[in-house]
Amino acid sequence: MIGSTAEVRAAATGDFLPGDDYFAAPRDAFGSGAITMAVGPLRFRLEGLSRLQAERLCGRFAPFVEAGEGIADLAIALRRAGVVSFLRLPSGSEPETYRLGSRAARGRLALWSYEFAGWVEPAARRAMLAVVEEDGPLFERGLENFLRIMTASFILEHGGFLFHASGVVRGGRAYVFFGPSGAGKTTVTHLSKPIGAPGENRGGHVVGAGDTVLSDDLTLVIRRGDRYEACGIPFGLAHHRVPETGGSFPIASFNRLVQSRRVARERIDGARAVAEVASCLPFVMQETRQAERALQAVARALESIPVHRLEFRKDDGFWDVVEER
Amino acid sequence: MDLTMVLTRNPDAAYRIYDGQATVVLPDQAEVNVINPIGSLVWDRLDGTRTLGDILTLIVEEFDVTPEQARADLFAFVDSLREHRMVR
Repeated sequence: MIGSTAEVRAAATGDFLPGDDYFAAPRDAFGSGAITMAVGPLRFRLEGLSRLQAERLCGRFAPFVEAGEGIADLAIALRRAGVVSFLRLPSGSEPETYRLGSRAARGRLALWSYEFAGWVEPAARRAMLAVVEEDGPLFERGLENFLRIMTASFILEHGGFLFHASGVVRGGRAYVFFGPSGAGKTTVTHLSKPIGAPGENRGGHVVGAGDTVLSDDLTLVIRRGDRYEACGIPFGLAHHRVPETGGSFPIASFNRLVQSRRVARERIDGARAVAEVASCLPFVMQETRQAERALQAVARALESIPVHRLEFRKDDGFWDVVEER
Repeated sequence: MDLTMVLTRNPDAAYRIYDGQATVVLPDQAEVNVINPIGSLVWDRLDGTRTLGDILTLIVEEFDVTPEQARADLFAFVDSLREHRMVR
């Protein structure tokens, strides 16, 4: 007896590709605990948690944990995966882009990566997430990767989008900085320190209490009627920090980062602006209908949010051209 | 290629015309493309009903270009779209 079809596939590639048989089998919950996480307008209910998992998640994501059950956009049942990994984990020195498998059929989207496999039924607002470990980095990565994908998908229903961008609040408004990996998203957050005591007058400009970093990697763009706000998401993985606040703030501008020897800002308009932003939307451009909805959401947002190409050096001089006073 | 050909946009391509320019996403290639106004006119009309000749007529009516130049540009553009699997 060789085993299931999925196990045969795994033997050939080093990957374990979960088929319908895997998802159909009953899987144990970690426990009976549950928490609700609020990310902008989205509510994710995590069920099947052990008491320790629930406590740790409440501590780690404190600004985003909501009391009470409420109505969730998505209820996610966490389960023990029963396997060591799904896609084979790359060795430390092995260069690899993040791999994510998916299969859609009959109203259900199945997803799998290294440390998790799961499915989501958007119409029923329910999902199942099987994680390979109960605790530690693989549990955190599996859960956070799945929640990032769910955030990117479900925010489109609210007219917003998840943006591969950092976000900094200054003077009560959110400045969003985007670009591919290496463009400088994290750098601008490090250069955006508290700028002085509240009320201090600098060159005729009375400064606020300082900058608030919403995110150094993924910023959620939220539509509220005709206005747009930005907030951080807590699922940034270990090397990114959990946002300092779960609040959302009116967006002043989107800024496409370009490292340079000078500081300069140039407005980008029309289709080029849409394309620049759309090329930095994670997870939603792999499927045509979702990509169309994402393009529509971006185009609508850019009717009121200016997009700039921002050339910047590694000092805080970029704020002189970015800040709207 | 000739003017009687009828081509269709790749049905997997997501696109939106914004200020006369098309932003096109090809999901399986993870690419976002921007097409200029004259290219966007062509793209928008590659709907499986019009011949390239019909589209050439529209280009000559809408833009300040000779029929000969428009035909050469149209063929080159459609070749490029086919190369990138954006049309069938």
